[in-house]
Amino acid sequence: MTAAARIRRLTPYLLVGPPILLLFALVAYPMLYNIVLSLRNYRTGEFVGLHNFARVFDDAIFLSSIKATLTYIVLAVGIELVAGLGLALFIHRKVPSGLVRSLLYLLMILPMVTPPVAAGVIARLMYTPNYGIINLALRGAGLIDRDIEWLSTAPTAMFSVLSVDIWQWMPFVFLVAFAGLQAVPQDIVEAAKSDGAGGWHLFRYIEFPYLQSLLLLVLVFRVTDTFRVFDHVLVLTGGGPGSATEFLSVYLYRVAFKFFDLSYAAAISFYILAAASVVFTLLQRWLVTEAVM
Amino acid sequence: MRRVFLAGVVVMALLLSGPSLAAQGLPPKPVRLTMAVVAGGETKGLKAILPMWEKEMGVKVELVEFPYPTLYEKLVTAFQANAATYDLLIADDPWMPKFGAEGWLTPLDTEFGYKRDPDIFPVVYDLGTWPPPRGPVPPTEKGKARHLYAITLVGNVEFFMYRKDLVSAPRTWNDVIANAKKVHDPNKPLYGFVIRGAKGNPVISEFTPVLLSFGARIFDDNWKVILNSKEAVAALRFFTKDLKQYAPPGVANYDAAERAREVATGRAAQGFIWPAEITDIVENPSVSKVVGKMGYALAPAGSGGKRGPLIGNWLLAVPKASKNKRWAYEFILWATSAKVQKPYALGGGIPFRRSILTDSELNTKFAFFTAMAASLAAPAEWRPRTQEWFAVEAILGTHVNAALAGIETPENAIAKAAAEIEKHMREAGYYK
Repeated sequence: MTAAARIRRLTPYLLVGPPILLLFALVAYPMLYNIVLSLRNYRTGEFVGLHNFARVFDDAIFLSSIKATLTYIVLAVGIELVAGLGLALFIHRKVPSGLVRSLLYLLMILPMVTPPVAAGVIARLMYTPNYGIINLALRGAGLIDRDIEWLSTAPTAMFSVLSVDIWQWMPFVFLVAFAGLQAVPQDIVEAAKSDGAGGWHLFRYIEFPYLQSLLLLVLVFRVTDTFRVFDHVLVLTGGGPGSATEFLSVYLYRVAFKFFDLSYAAAISFYILAAASVVFTLLQRWLVTEAVM
Repeated sequence: MRRVFLAGVVVMALLLSGPSLAAQGLPPKPVRLTMAVVAGGETKGLKAILPMWEKEMGVKVELVEFPYPTLYEKLVTAFQANAATYDLLIADDPWMPKFGAEGWLTPLDTEFGYKRDPDIFPVVYDLGTWPPPRGPVPPTEKGKARHLYAITLVGNVEFFMYRKDLVSAPRTWNDVIANAKKVHDPNKPLYGFVIRGAKGNPVISEFTPVLLSFGARIFDDNWKVILNSKEAVAALRFFTKDLKQYAPPGVANYDAAERAREVATGRAAQGFIWPAEITDIVENPSVSKVVGKMGYALAPAGSGGKRGPLIGNWLLAVPKASKNKRWAYEFILWATSAKVQKPYALGGGIPFRRSILTDSELNTKFAFFTAMAASLAAPAEWRPRTQEWFAVEAILGTHVNAALAGIETPENAIAKAAAEIEKHMREAGYYK
């Protein structure tokens, strides 16, 4: 075999080799390491089989963190989708001015580029009783006569962490939905209008089909993001009061970096991976089906 | 001729490097000592004395600053890799069990022959020693040789503050309640007592002195969990009902910043305090309305007369992997010496020596030094010396916080915390 032929034969391997090695180092190795870790006692190195996986069934905080995480995902993603879409429809139909729309774009991008930690710190100050702006405003408007302890009771703490997520990510839904609405052919809209279609029918039968796949994509992104919500929660409530806002990600952090129980943390991470895989497979199937239709 | 010239250069270099150091048999001066430190007020005094060290010794000390949680992670990563990244470090005292058990630090006694100084409170040496010289020893550490690995630089200890223009110095918790009742008026607003009640470390730092003063403990001398006791329930009930009724709304999410702000703005009359919060906020005329109005005292006693001031020193230590151990040790000796601790204190540092804390000149400027000395001499209580402390703190901190927020009753919170701590300690191999 000539040198040129040898090089030609080796070229594909040389090209594919580095990314495969990189993938192995960054994905496969940590995954394998995690499996080994989850089957051992991290402190002693002793093999414990599925003991760490069984521990979750006797772990009240793990179970309550699943409940808190699901509540958070459903409320955050649900409100962001409805509010973002509603706002996009309103601007699309009622605000024709290019200048106003440009200003709105700018305003909507600001929350998204704010680091979640900074958003958490600011929100913490805003929600503080006594001198927090929210209580001051409510008192000023005569809506309350004593301060609401936003971050110190379970329902209001959940509301507070949700509000930061919604403030930050509702604009993302708005921007995607608004861009999608621009792609709806105006002749079809005009034809529907002349046939007597009202606002709701226009949306349901003309605009929504154009937006459907985009909204599903947004849903996938937002569910992924809310599943691993961490930064602003840690700053705002630290998972409290009690375990009220201790989401799976916060609990996993606590087990791994406070308890240093890395084996148990590895086992929990596999449960999270399994749950996330099921959710995303379902969403992906839905997305593919809708795209084909 | 050339040899004579070179010999002359060597002699000159030795002379310039200082005859005393040459006599001590120190290795050649390193270009610099790299020191990992926590970012924040704790290093204010250190920064003030560094130019003195550099001028005196001719060795630069480079500070690498990290926020509190990051510092721990960076140190552990460097230790696990056995990397000579840092020559010196400053560590929070609850980290000692982990660092000591893993053997990551250089013993200062056997390696350098450190001699104890009677001017330093015994509790300081106890903190830097591993395995712990008193109290229960973790099962994996029994039988290990005991060494001194670290010496305090920041003499942090928790004590009590009160508005001396409004109330008298409380000696017991009953006095605290009486004081609170006297001044509490939410309409002003002036609150009788402010609680740092956020989940985890904040609320545990606040609750531990109460728990101990009521005669309760988390572990016995064999690490058996004895938290679920009537004393502990009484302490938590007192904390979440009797004290909380005089606290501002929302304290279940208050951390140190919120507490100091309440006091500095004249809205709270009593509470616990750590020294750095005093120098940074409470007695800082640029942000505080109560400068000169605060009194400082030892943590109040429970009905049995017991007090539980909590210690939280920052310790200087030399990593085992350091390439400049001897010079790092020289720095520790120098920085903790009585000669340097005075300018250190005047520069905003929190000192720890008896002679400095009782110095009359310094006490005029820093009124809380007497309370600090009394707290360190009490002696101050430490967090149980186990690598599992962070887990214990997180578990107890969740339930105490839940009780403070009214989500759990004191009885439930204590029972749940005790059961979860026991489960954790079992997993960690503390029980057969």
